[in-house]
Amino acid sequence: MNFNPNDLVGILPAVILTLGGCALMTTEVFLRKDGPDRRYQPFLAAVFGLIALYVSLSQLGDPSATLFAGAAVADGIGRSISAVVSGTLVLSVLLAAGYLETLSASRGEFYALALFSAAGMCLLSQATDLIVVFIALEVMSLAVYSLTAWLRKGTKPAEAAFKYFVLGSFASAIFLYGAALAFGAAGSTRIADLALAVRNANAGSSMLVYAAGALLTVGFAFKVAAFPFHMWVPDVYDGAPAPVTGFMAAGVKAAAFATLARILIGGFGDVGASMGPHGWQSLIVLLAGATMLVGNVLAVPQRSVKRMLAYSSIAHAGYLLVSIAAMAGSEPRQDAVFGLVFYLASYAATVIGAFGIVALIERKLAPTGASDDLTTWGGLAQKHPLLAAAMSLFMLSLAGVPPTAGFMGKLGIFRAAIEAGLVPLAIFGVLTSAAGLYYYLRVVVYIYMVPSTKPEPVVGGRMLTAGVALAACAVLVIWMGVQPGAFATLTQSSLAGFGK
Amino acid sequence: MVGPLHYLVLAAALFALGAVGVVIRRNAIIVLMSIELMLNAVNLTFLTFSRFPLVVKGNDAPIAGHAAVFYVIAVAAAEAAVGLAIVIAVFRSRLTVNVDEIDSLKN
Repeated sequence: MNFNPNDLVGILPAVILTLGGCALMTTEVFLRKDGPDRRYQPFLAAVFGLIALYVSLSQLGDPSATLFAGAAVADGIGRSISAVVSGTLVLSVLLAAGYLETLSASRGEFYALALFSAAGMCLLSQATDLIVVFIALEVMSLAVYSLTAWLRKGTKPAEAAFKYFVLGSFASAIFLYGAALAFGAAGSTRIADLALAVRNANAGSSMLVYAAGALLTVGFAFKVAAFPFHMWVPDVYDGAPAPVTGFMAAGVKAAAFATLARILIGGFGDVGASMGPHGWQSLIVLLAGATMLVGNVLAVPQRSVKRMLAYSSIAHAGYLLVSIAAMAGSEPRQDAVFGLVFYLASYAATVIGAFGIVALIERKLAPTGASDDLTTWGGLAQKHPLLAAAMSLFMLSLAGVPPTAGFMGKLGIFRAAIEAGLVPLAIFGVLTSAAGLYYYLRVVVYIYMVPSTKPEPVVGGRMLTAGVALAACAVLVIWMGVQPGAFATLTQSSLAGFGK
Repeated sequence: MVGPLHYLVLAAALFALGAVGVVIRRNAIIVLMSIELMLNAVNLTFLTFSRFPLVVKGNDAPIAGHAAVFYVIAVAAAEAAVGLAIVIAVFRSRLTVNVDEIDSLKN
């Protein structure tokens, strides 16, 4: 196996993000402890994110290419997810800038860790070798664990990071055991060789193959927060700084779902829909249904908006699993793949905006360790009408009300499910998302109809930076809802070289 | 005669012990040790399949398993570093590493 430097072009977004992380890490050493000279750091991080975004968008139409002798691939879905991750990074660091300054936690390592984590997400979406998947997964996760523990005041951040770390490492170990068994069955850790082993499985090796498939899926079910592996989500999302939570919800989910699809379709695609105990489609259908139900039901009693959004992210993992289940059928899988990528992009824009506004509210609450109870949101419309409008827009998009991005995303996924013959699952999904309307609209009701009992809800500077990022999220949410065709290049190129 | 099955069963037993340890042990440090045990069980599995391959791919197949183990060891070291740092952060904020007492995020 020879190293070909041209292959680096295929993973250029990850390379750019890594270089950016190194640059921020190195320059941090030369700055004074407190002072004005670290104000440029979020913008430097955003510039690197924008370059990575530009590169992944400009490579969208290119033919797919195998990199590093089959260890990774530069294909449509990898590039689309890289674009989503880079955009997520840019918006998150802009929202984090003022948040960290207000809480006097502004240090360059934050942005360096965010860039490293985004690099891991890009690599994860391009990996076609289980060991490369593992390394990219850990590059992503280790950085996110550290970001979760970023605030040193109070007991919540360290506790959230500890829970995330223990369950995340547990999931990685389970995934890795699956990779080892797959290596045994296939004689190689390449997903393509695993597909050969699945196709030629005989009585002796079939148990090994199925155990490997189960362990690999369970490992990623933890990462994407599918039922019954969702218990860590509320605590971690609640305890982490709100801009990090948005980054985590959008970026980690995008990368993990792309990889789950790649492993299940690329490695086990041949046994996806076959009946009996060996087809994994029925299993994913059950998982998707249970995840949608649990996420939506548990979100209802939540009084904290941040915690409610955490449970809602479980529900959204369920909708995304519907698209994975729809892919399990025979080809063409294009509608399900389009649906997955579009949903991930629309969910990223929406959830970063929502957590961005939670971050503005949390600036005031974080030093005292209080949670953002619904009453904190009362009267937001009188004091900050634009923020109130934006939050309502994000809530409507999460609930899937037209004309927002969330509606088009759900439409795409449920249409793909119906075309794949999963009509009961699609109906169940629509019903659970209708139940979701209740807790999303409750936030809107508090914002507009409940009078304020508390003083000024938003403190701190950098409102312009945060405002620009929130406006970008809001524009994307409306644009994707009104004109989804404008994003066709993003979604349709995602099929290139995938799932063959 | 010790064959591949012995190693695989040993690895599976170690993995199960590690998984049980993560779930039932109360000390955060022992939880971290249990995760390391799971990763080492994986290493043993990789090495077993390298030493006694079921399927031979080209001539570099035995090496692939050994290489994988090195990656896992390196990543496990990084993971332990971050994990211990987080445990220290937990200890500084509440002066205990008992998992049962780390429960302020419940409602």
